[in-house]
Formats: sequence, C-alpha cells, structure tokens
Amino acid sequence: MNLREYQAKKIFADSGIPIPPGNVARTPEEVEQITSQLNTPVVLKPQLGVKKRGKLGVIKFANNPSEAATAAAELFNIIVKEEPIKIILVEAKVEIKQELYLAVTIDYSKRCPVLIISKRGGVDIEELAEKDPHQLLKLSINILEGITEKDIILIKKFAGDEIARFASVLYAIFRKYDAELVEINPVVITTENKIIAVDAVLNINDDSLFRHAEIAKLRKEFQDTDHIAEEARANNWTYIDLPGDIAILSSGAGLTMTILDLINFSGGSPANFIDTAQIDEDGIYQAFNLLVKAKSAKTMLINIFAGLNRCDSLAKGIQRYLKDFPVDIPIVIRMVGNKEKEGHEILRGIGIKPFSKLEEAVEKVVEISK
Amino acid sequence: MSILINSQTRLLVQGITGDAARFHTKLMREYGTNIVAGVRPGAGGTEVDGIKVFNTVQDVMEGKHPNASILFVPAKVMKGAAFEAFEAGIKTIVMVSEHIPLHDTMEIVTKAQLVGARIIGPNTPGLISPAEKCKVGFVPSSYYIPGKVGVASRSGTLTYEIVSRLTEAGIGQSTCVGIGGDPVIGTPFSEIVQLFQNDPATGAILMIGEIGGTMEEEAAELVQKGEITKPVVAYLAGRTAPPDKKMGHAGAIIAGGRGTIESKLDAFERARIPVAKVPGEVVGLVQEVFS
Repeated sequence: MNLREYQAKKIFADSGIPIPPGNVARTPEEVEQITSQLNTPVVLKPQLGVKKRGKLGVIKFANNPSEAATAAAELFNIIVKEEPIKIILVEAKVEIKQELYLAVTIDYSKRCPVLIISKRGGVDIEELAEKDPHQLLKLSINILEGITEKDIILIKKFAGDEIARFASVLYAIFRKYDAELVEINPVVITTENKIIAVDAVLNINDDSLFRHAEIAKLRKEFQDTDHIAEEARANNWTYIDLPGDIAILSSGAGLTMTILDLINFSGGSPANFIDTAQIDEDGIYQAFNLLVKAKSAKTMLINIFAGLNRCDSLAKGIQRYLKDFPVDIPIVIRMVGNKEKEGHEILRGIGIKPFSKLEEAVEKVVEISK
Repeated sequence: MSILINSQTRLLVQGITGDAARFHTKLMREYGTNIVAGVRPGAGGTEVDGIKVFNTVQDVMEGKHPNASILFVPAKVMKGAAFEAFEAGIKTIVMVSEHIPLHDTMEIVTKAQLVGARIIGPNTPGLISPAEKCKVGFVPSSYYIPGKVGVASRSGTLTYEIVSRLTEAGIGQSTCVGIGGDPVIGTPFSEIVQLFQNDPATGAILMIGEIGGTMEEEAAELVQKGEITKPVVAYLAGRTAPPDKKMGHAGAIIAGGRGTIESKLDAFERARIPVAKVPGEVVGLVQEVFS
C-alpha cells in the first residue's frame, strides 16, 4: 500500500524530519486560504497514486492566493491516468541550494534492508545508479542488528551529520511501519542551509497491514478505484485488469502467467484474470461471479488443474453458477486432475465440451475471440 | 539420494492441529514421509492420527530427534514458530504459508544464515523426492515418479503442469523443490542448483522461473562460470506480462527496470541454458540433454 505524499509527510514530520509548512485542500477556495495563511509563494502538489508527477506536468507554482486558486481550479478538473485530482497539498516553495536522495528499501537479492544516499536528488535514482554510481552510498543493513555505529560514521562522512540523523529516522520508520520503501527525493538543503524533506514516499507491505490498523484506515482517504481487485484480495485471490477481450479464471500465479503468454502467442488478448488459491465448489462459484461482474469480455477461459481438490466438485460449482446466472458469452474449460472423468461428464451435461490439453483450450478460446 | 529431504528425514509438523495441517500430514504419511511428532502450544499430550503432539519444539527434541520441520502455522505467528525451530536446532525448515510480512521473512532468513539452518519458502507447496518416498508439503504426489531430473520452481500449479508432462513422457525426478513465490525466500535458485550439482541422483536440472527479481540471473551466472556442470534447462513464465503489476506472486513484478524477461533470457543465453517458450517444449529440451 502506497501512502499519498501528505500522509507519508505527516508520519515523517511526527518522527522528527522537517517538512515544508503547508496543508491539504479539496477545493480552490481552500487552496487560496492556505496560500494566504502561508503568506509566501507556494507549490501545488496533486496527491495521486502515480509516480513522477513532475514529468506529467501537474505540479504547479503560484506567487499569491489568487494565482493559486486559478491554478487549483484547473488542476481539480484534470484526470491523471484515470485518477481524478481530488486532493492538493499546498506547501511553501523552498529555495533550493542542493538536492539529495535518501531511501531505505529491500535488497531482494541480498534479502536485507538497504540504505541508499545520493548527493544528487530530484532525479530518477535508477538512472543515477547506472550513470553516476560514485554519487551513491549503498549500505546493506543486518535486520537483526539495525543501523550500526559504523554505518552512521560512514553516512556522516559521505553526507554530513543531519543526513545521518535523517537516515536513522528513516530506517526507524521503515521498521516500525513494515515498509517496502521509504524515500525522500529530494532532501533539500535550502539557501538558508536548512535541511528538509520536500517529497515523501512510504510504501507499506500489504501482508503486514494486519498489525497497522491506523495505516489501513488511511487508504479510505483516497479513492481506491478497483473494487473487484479489493474483493478478490479479501479472498486472498489476485484480480488484474488487462486491455483485451478474453477473461481468465485460473489458479496459481505461474500457471496463470503461462496462460496469458499462450493466449498472447496465439494472437489473442486477455481482458483480465482471477488467480485463485486452491478452491472448492463454492469458491469457483464466487470467483466465476466476480469475473463476470468485473467487465464484459467476449469469451472466457477457465483452467482447472485439480491437484488436491476435485474436478467433479468444481464442475458442480460451474454448473450451479450457470444455472443461477446464465452467461451469454462462450466459455472454454480445461479441466484435469482428480476425478477428471466425473468432472468432464458434468460439463458435457450442461453443454460444455471440456478440454484436457491446455494448448487446445487456449487455441479454442482465441479462435472464439476473433 | 536426493536433495534436502530423503528416507532419513524425521519430520516435525508445527501447527499440526489445523485443518490443512491434519489433512496434509495424513497425505505425507501415506506417501511415505516419516513424521515423528507435531507441535501445537496448549495441545501437548494429545494425538493427531496417532502422531504425538507436544507444546514446544524443545519438548520434541529429546525423544523424537526431528531433523526437519514443516510449519503449517498462520502467517502472523510464522516468525515465532521459525525462531523456535532454530533455537531447538532444527536445520531444515519448510514454510508453506503465504502472506508472511516481508520484514518477518527477512528476519527469519537472516537468523537462518546465522545459525546455519536452511529455509524453504515461504509461499511454497513444499518438496518431494519420489525415489526416497518422502514429501514435505502439499504437492500432489501422483504427478511425480522417481528419476534423474532435479526440478526447482517458483510456482506450484505451474510445476504440476510441467512435471505431469515429464512423468507422462517417462522422465522421472530426483527432487522437486518449490522455492516459493515471495520476493524474499530462504533458498533461491542459485543455492538449489548447487545442491543438485552435488547430488549423485540428479542428472539434469530444470528451473521453472518467472518474471520479477534477479534469482534466475544469479543461477545462470553460476552455470556460466562453470560452477554447475550438469545440464540445465529452463522455462520462464510471464513473457507477455505488463510491467508494474503484481502478477499474483508478490515476487512476480517488473518494476524500475528490474526483473524483466529480457534480462533473464539474456542471462540464460550467456550461460547457454536452453529455455522453453511454452510448457509443451520442456519435455523435448529435457530429452535432448539426456540423449
């Protein structure tokens, strides 16, 4: 779960990292009011889920309250990558002397936290790591020990005492909130030699939200557009929306990706998929329902590899669903595993010709979609 | 022989009283796995299917001498259960649960390195060594036969899909290891291929990988350097997956230019590892390395 900037900044500020003075607004009037209270040139930052807002051109500057209100009125009418702008963070503009980059994230290869500091901030860090690795300090952290005295000395030497303090605070936030990424880009040294966090990223591991009820609540402050994905998640399933016209119901991430590949290779195009855990009769009924509800597709592929569950009970689930809610698109089913013969019989009984070979089922569904 | 688990495995089941644990304990035992005890705090003194249940792992150690443990405990308490197994001195630990907090997994993996234990998983269907009649986890054993191919995979059902084709073609397996679908796991491909390299029962290695992370690249590098001399073939899922979407496995995401299919295919090409484009090509590739 990626917090919005203003939510992350609140946590950073509460932990002792200075941020620019400002507040959030939901109307141009509020923007005007906040600008007038700040009594200084401001920056208007739409609070969105997308990254790289600067490049998208939606960060605006204003010198006075009326300029701010005009700019805000325009911003509130913009939809950025399907997300309407509803909240704007209004902050005092800072005079920049130097920009740095600071982050704590997970080194998936070394399987430990890593602290990254760059003397050049405000830029794309992946790009910088490739082009100018000498500007970077990367420290692997032993998660059982945390940041050590030795680490702190290294950071102080590289970027100074205050940045070392920032780094310690950031690591503490990373641990306290079960973060996958805590990032300040840029950390700004102002012309008055103050060091402040001008941006804030806090991305929290979804599997840890059960122990962060206060964070899970923050999600409600911004609109989560994908209700189907939300509902799938509640069952520990994955729902992903894609641009094509073949809906897919499958089980297991690797196998589902394989099916997407096979469809694409055959010239078809997936509309979406639900990847369920091992399911039973009721489970497939529900998953079927969710997929039909998600969006209209031209056809649907259901893949069942019953290792420990049973084809016959899954076929019964499908039969029951189709009886309750007749579906007007052609459905292709591949079904193998335990009680395969019995499952196939049930499907034939409701007029569906079952497939045993995955490739043949994919070919069929792609043919229908064309 | 085989890797990680064999006929000498004395398995402990932590969290044995849960429904899934009971069910799979029965299936593991029917397959031939030697299950010596179960643990469930508060249920000490009871039995599950004739298997004695103890309150703590320490209580089990003296009389039962388990040398491996499977953890069927909820994600929320996984860290505590794993640390308990470490402290009791168990060196092979299989974590089947998914949705374990990433920080907990990092702590578990770091602690395992410290005490010299091996973690398989999390988010894995487990492992199976057909010739040793030993399975630890919930892989459906009917798709596996004894043989010489060592299989390592990030995904459960995809492994069944591919291994069932090998089995149909008469190609058996030494050990199949589900390494886990999470972005942080205990034993990545690079360590599994080394174990297969040193296992006399394994003649060739099949890696079933997917987009996301750099585990496939790291294993390929070992092959390229000549540290793995047994033939290796691979299959990769997610060639057509769009970037920035978690494709079911939290580990399967292309983000910030990392974990792309191109990077993996390049690494395999440099190491001269043949890669199947579709599951249907895997059997042919494996047959080729054996001929």
